Amino acid sequence: MDWLKDYPVDVDAGDLFRHAPPEVAAKWRMMADGLHTLAQDSGLSAQELLARQIADMGMSFRMTGDAEERSWPLTPMPLIVGAQEWAKVEAGLIQRARLLEAVVGDIYGPQDLVREGHIPAAVVAGSRYFARAMGGVLPRRGHYIHVYAVDLARGPHGQWRVLGDRLRLANGVGYALENRLALSRGTGSLLSDIHARRLAGFFGQLRQGLSADCPRESPRIALLTPGRFNQSYPEQAHLARYLGFPLVEGRDLSVIDGKLYVRTIGGPKRVDALWRWIDTNSLDPLNFDARSTIGVPDLADCWTGGQVAMANWPGVEVVEAPAFAAFLPRLFQTLLGEDPLLPNVATWWCGGEAEADLVRGRLDELMVAPAFGQRVEGLAAVQPAHGAQLTPEAREALLAAMARRPMDYCAQEIINLSTTPALIDDRFEPRPFTLRAFVARGADGEWVVMPGGFARLSSSGKIASTLMGEGDLSADVCVVDEADEERFSRVTLTGAPAIRRDGGVLAAQAADNLFWFGRYGERAEMTVRVVRSILGGGIEVDAGASGHPEVRARLVDLLANWGALAPDHSALSPAEACRAALVEQGLPGGVAALLNTQRNVGQSLRDRFAPDFWRIASRPLPLLDSHRPGVLLRMARELIERFAALSGLGAEDMVRGPAWRFLDMGRRIERALSLCRIARQLEGAGEESDRLNTLLDIFDSQITYRSRYLSAPLRDPVYDLLLLDPDNPRSLVHQVQAIERHIAALPSLREDALPEAPLREVRAVLAPLISLTVDQFDGQRMAEIELRLQALSDSISARYFLQFDAAVAGRTPLQG
Amino acid sequence: MRYRIHHTTSLRYDGVVRLARLNLRLKPALWPGQRVENFALKLDPPPAEIEAGDGPWIVHRHRVILREALSELSIESRFDIEVSEPALSPDDAGAPDIGSIRAAALTLPDLSPMGPASYLFASPMAPPSTAIAEWAAPFLAADQSVLAAGHALMKAIHESFAYDGTATSVTTTAQDAFEQKRGVCQDFAHVMIVAARAHGIPAAYVSGYLRTLPPPGQPRLVGADAMHAWAALWCGQAIGWVGFDPTNDVLAGTDHIFVAMGRDYADIAPIDGVFLGGAGQNLSVSVDVEPVED
Repeated sequence: MDWLKDYPVDVDAGDLFRHAPPEVAAKWRMMADGLHTLAQDSGLSAQELLARQIADMGMSFRMTGDAEERSWPLTPMPLIVGAQEWAKVEAGLIQRARLLEAVVGDIYGPQDLVREGHIPAAVVAGSRYFARAMGGVLPRRGHYIHVYAVDLARGPHGQWRVLGDRLRLANGVGYALENRLALSRGTGSLLSDIHARRLAGFFGQLRQGLSADCPRESPRIALLTPGRFNQSYPEQAHLARYLGFPLVEGRDLSVIDGKLYVRTIGGPKRVDALWRWIDTNSLDPLNFDARSTIGVPDLADCWTGGQVAMANWPGVEVVEAPAFAAFLPRLFQTLLGEDPLLPNVATWWCGGEAEADLVRGRLDELMVAPAFGQRVEGLAAVQPAHGAQLTPEAREALLAAMARRPMDYCAQEIINLSTTPALIDDRFEPRPFTLRAFVARGADGEWVVMPGGFARLSSSGKIASTLMGEGDLSADVCVVDEADEERFSRVTLTGAPAIRRDGGVLAAQAADNLFWFGRYGERAEMTVRVVRSILGGGIEVDAGASGHPEVRARLVDLLANWGALAPDHSALSPAEACRAALVEQGLPGGVAALLNTQRNVGQSLRDRFAPDFWRIASRPLPLLDSHRPGVLLRMARELIERFAALSGLGAEDMVRGPAWRFLDMGRRIERALSLCRIARQLEGAGEESDRLNTLLDIFDSQITYRSRYLSAPLRDPVYDLLLLDPDNPRSLVHQVQAIERHIAALPSLREDALPEAPLREVRAVLAPLISLTVDQFDGQRMAEIELRLQALSDSISARYFLQFDAAVAGRTPLQG
Repeated sequence: MRYRIHHTTSLRYDGVVRLARLNLRLKPALWPGQRVENFALKLDPPPAEIEAGDGPWIVHRHRVILREALSELSIESRFDIEVSEPALSPDDAGAPDIGSIRAAALTLPDLSPMGPASYLFASPMAPPSTAIAEWAAPFLAADQSVLAAGHALMKAIHESFAYDGTATSVTTTAQDAFEQKRGVCQDFAHVMIVAARAHGIPAAYVSGYLRTLPPPGQPRLVGADAMHAWAALWCGQAIGWVGFDPTNDVLAGTDHIFVAMGRDYADIAPIDGVFLGGAGQNLSVSVDVEPVED
């Protein structure tokens, strides 16, 4: 079957498939047929097949203004470009990268281009990214640019043009990678069948290019993120995970004697290179914008001393201003002595008198845009506006504003986009597209182009400068060879790496987040267990809604102490109280709020969690459609299963490094604290057997108890099982022993081999638990242990985590 | 004129702070018509490191690092300075019109911090404002002489804005001050800069000191002054930068002592920096501008 048979033949705009040479068109058909077969075999549409992959990978994005992440709109049919056509694009991109490198080198070096009149001074100064302080500060190996993204348009006759250069952020490079992952996972061997070139080599080269510029051997390269509220945070986290770069924020870093360090649990560790996802202006509050809170004070000292390589060098983004495109074409001859292989969209900067006259005269035939990518008077948006479509009033306002400040405007020729087949419902339709390509510097300092990229299929036919607009689709881009290319993977390309086993660097802040991720999760679980017990979910045959009313009332009070209920909860029935504790958002200690906070903390750990783990952790609360105890109980059980799934994944999948240790410590300290509190809370309530049964039930120890004792629950046997039996994985001593092992295994800062404070604290908690007998445990001793556990938690945070002032820390404390 | 300047800033932190790293932009940068002598900078407690350099604007910067924990810091600078009368006479008839200034600023191949190009565009604390642009339009017609326009704009700001030390703070933008129609020298300078740039005139922010004359018959109050700020407009290659002081409706002359020039306050803030710990800080300033007899 030929799925592309019905694809419109008459495509005026030119089409990637219709106008492809026969051998490439054959690959299109092969891909389409392959998708068709896959869909038929699975009983799902190709779109659904892919959507499942995307959901599994946890791919998401945010539009400007979105609070929540959206799932990623990837269309199954990639753009297929033949090797011959791509070779020309590739050569053009490399030439352009060489040019931009030379221009940037001049702007921050001798400034001959300005002095000799090749670039007006105002075109450089007009960019908010012109970093005057970087003048004369040279990268150690002279490489200003490491990663370069470029938007391309393909015209009706197959001619490629540069729409815009992106040196500040290579947005989309992570999405190109994710698109390829999703497509190759979702389509079996199809991509190999059409001989699509692989992307892995590009990322390997990027990484080696950066390490080659570092002063030390086996350097540490970190990805510097503005933080989890940033729009492209999911992309950054994904890249960091894929490349094995630690994902760091400015506050993780510090500069000591002109060298850069990341604060880790093992003390400060050198950082040799940064892939920055932060504007130059925000990088260093002492040398650029003093208001920046996401940068690193004195980072600039590391550049002047040649101690840190940067991708990209601060200030390079100056050349991405649209106005530059008006001058670049001539600079190919001036700087390289070559003609441009890949033209950019024809651009006129209105700061020149002749150009301004031309633009005024031909306004109807041109697109007008802000010259420096920022909103200006007379134009509604940063995106180019079509002169012919302006209302007479808007046109007049624009011309008046241009007369006052002509330098703020530039005009571009109108570009017609060629189309590509896009799978819409169950047929192919032509859609206009733009392609974001990526260029990086490889190990030898030479440029390499990603064989593929990130394609945006427009729903409207308009060119927008943002990555994804409302209703747009993204597509993978496959560069196809006639025959199979020589397979190269990262490993063969780089040579065998040195064997290593540590868990990488654990930044102090990540340790903090892991610890609290564990604590919040465990508190949520304990709350659900208390709720389950109130509702009578235990295995006791005739417990009904849990045992003695007084026991139940105490548990409800406990929920209130924990902030899972409002303080004035007396009007609520037990079932109503349980419902509130499970789902009400406004209660700071309620399950809904705890899971929310846990998810927020987890956002910044995305690069450390396996996708399965994160998918479960970020799953919304189950829907609650009734207040009946049975329904509430079902929800509680569902949640407990989810907690079990998470701890199972954590136990089976996480490397036993410091990250796992902090996650587990958080969980265990919270469990230990809960055990003390619940036991104390129930002291003296109702019948002893009800009380002890409830304890056994909350801590899942009923079956063990029964197998060990024939009698009904009695205090000492129950307390021994729950507090002092090291073999019971829910016992207090078991938690504390685990914490002790974790702390002992963490790096120490002391050179005298004496134990650090947290280790001494945990041993103090442990001592009575392993040396006393159960009859020596009264309420007094439990209260002491609880206090010591609190002190242990404080000691862990003082030793391992970043210390912030109240103004900076945004963490809600756990109550009770 | 010769002056002896004595400027003390006292910082008091609510808690103990560690590792304070500061930029001090207190020593006058090189500027035509001025000569600085005997500059001395004293910090108490004294810094662990101090480093001096020029740039990236027309500014001299001391970088200081204090490693010891502290809760109080005093920064004291003293210098003698000779200020000569600017060559320009205020009613210069040969000044170019605004249209020519705009064209010259766009063609002059000068990217240096003295060149006009860097002062044509939005800057962090002086972003464009439609309201200010429209308000200033009557003073800034393209065929108007740039000096006359500067005078008119300065006068308009002086007349329409109330001096009010409590209405704004160091982080107030031009737009905010404009809406309130009140503020201090920093705000008036920012408004003037935004207005001039809106019409294509390169405009800069200048920080410095002002000689204040005591009321007739009364002695000069020592230490009663503060630092001052005004705007500078680029009036073509021949005339160069001319200081307009909208707070006092006068051109910057021998009563004005130039310290630094940048796009706005943020580029040349007299003191900024970072430190660890301590929540709030309390700042008090004492400035003394003492005329010295030759």
